[in-house]
Amino acid sequence: MVPYNRRMLTVQLLINALALGAAYALVALGFVLVLNAAGAVNFAHGDMVMLGGVAAVTMAAMLAGAGWRLPGVVLLPLVVMVAGLVGLGVAALGFWPLRDKPPSAMFVATIALAAVFEQSATAFFGPEPRTAPPVWDGAPLMIGGVALGRQPIALIIIAGLAIAGVYALLERTQAGRRFRAVAQDRDMARALGIRAVRLVVGAFVLAGGLAGLAGALLGHQFFVSAGQGPGYMLKAYIAAAVGGWGSVPGALLGALLIALFETLVSAVLSAVWAQALLYLALLAILLWRPQGLFGEVVGRRA
Amino acid sequence: MTPALEITGLSVSYGGARAVDDVSLTLRGGQVVALLGANGAGKSSLLRAVIGLVPVVAGRLVVNGRDLAKLPPEQRADAGLGYVPEGRRVFAGLTVRENIEVVVDAAARQRAGRVADMLALFPDLAAKSTERAWRLSGGQQQMLAIARALARRPRVLLLDEPSLGLAPQVAATVFARLRAIADDGVAVLLAEQNAARALAIADEAVVLAHGRIALAGAAKTMSADDDALMALLA
Repeated sequence: MVPYNRRMLTVQLLINALALGAAYALVALGFVLVLNAAGAVNFAHGDMVMLGGVAAVTMAAMLAGAGWRLPGVVLLPLVVMVAGLVGLGVAALGFWPLRDKPPSAMFVATIALAAVFEQSATAFFGPEPRTAPPVWDGAPLMIGGVALGRQPIALIIIAGLAIAGVYALLERTQAGRRFRAVAQDRDMARALGIRAVRLVVGAFVLAGGLAGLAGALLGHQFFVSAGQGPGYMLKAYIAAAVGGWGSVPGALLGALLIALFETLVSAVLSAVWAQALLYLALLAILLWRPQGLFGEVVGRRA
Repeated sequence: MTPALEITGLSVSYGGARAVDDVSLTLRGGQVVALLGANGAGKSSLLRAVIGLVPVVAGRLVVNGRDLAKLPPEQRADAGLGYVPEGRRVFAGLTVRENIEVVVDAAARQRAGRVADMLALFPDLAAKSTERAWRLSGGQQQMLAIARALARRPRVLLLDEPSLGLAPQVAATVFARLRAIADDGVAVLLAEQNAARALAIADEAVVLAHGRIALAGAAKTMSADDDALMALLA
């Protein structure tokens, strides 16, 4: 009996880590897209995740109040749209007026926006954590004799589809090619007629949508509260730093590593230890490899 | 024939220091104008001001009767200016094909046609069309930077030091290609350190010194070993 239980536990743990990693990957993906497009850190990114969770909780409550009990998955497109609008707002206030200023201007402006979002959410939503509706409700699935929760599986599938969609957009469409050109050399792209500023604003909208999706997906297992933005922001930052600043695949891998680390350390020690050790690990990585674990894998010549 | 680009009284400053001072010159389709001068004479600044990457302090840049001097770079590109910067600046992570396709404003099928045209014009690139641009040699990157600018079918092609860092034979190929591009009707403004090579394909030449035009005239009247010109280029 013991080996069987251990196997079941391991599989469940890995599925949970993968689900958490998939959600973190959504957060990190949007963060890196804006980082590459605008050439600056959007400090309000974590609060866009939080607002996605708030939107999911609020819309579910409103619909329930009107007598509509919809499955959580139906809410997701609405949450993504609202969060995309939040992204547009961040672009309009934190990027557009400062587009010809040094990147530090956007960094500072988005710190201010992050504070505004957090305080507004506290005022509107209250300080109490709440739970977003599950995306896929029901009893655990039995797969190969192992009981697996539906929510983590739904999370992996939905985040996987969203990430694949963003990849297809970047690699297969003219807008995606233009986005990559702008990310590499914004001035040169403009000198060749590419509307770089529009693409940067588009990156904010996309990042908002992805962040909102992540917020709604994480909000069932990990609650939604107004003060959780900075925590998500830090995760995205760590994923990008570990993955090689600006590398999209690096950030996705970084997000998975963070989730794996958190899940395993939480299981062995505790969630508090997981957070503390995560920051220590980040410090160690940055001291040992300042370019990140996967930095410079894709060589670049000037 | 109306000029493809008319530059009048153009000045550029970097925090008080004049990099380009009251420069006027006219480019016509089919012509190569060599822009010569020593390091720091203002050649790059002039080109960067024309495409809009540095602000124009004073002067006019007229294409088709329209002054572009206050427009952002993307609108100048739309007006018919093509730019090949110093150091090539190809989009390193994009493939050769993508580098060309990314600048073409057209539906997918026409874009593919334009890419095919450019690859036919630059056979060296055709063999590498699916390679990422950072894998190309310097000469291939230079060809790609030119193909990328041409893919927008510009009236005027601005080139900043295209022979820099290229082996002499590769540079010769690049210059022969530039002459052919001009012969197809494009106006070419060629900023170059290598005066002899530039003069060999140019119709006219303009020599800058300290941001001002020090010498201008038909290219065939100038010779790279002329003492007066040598003094300006030193």
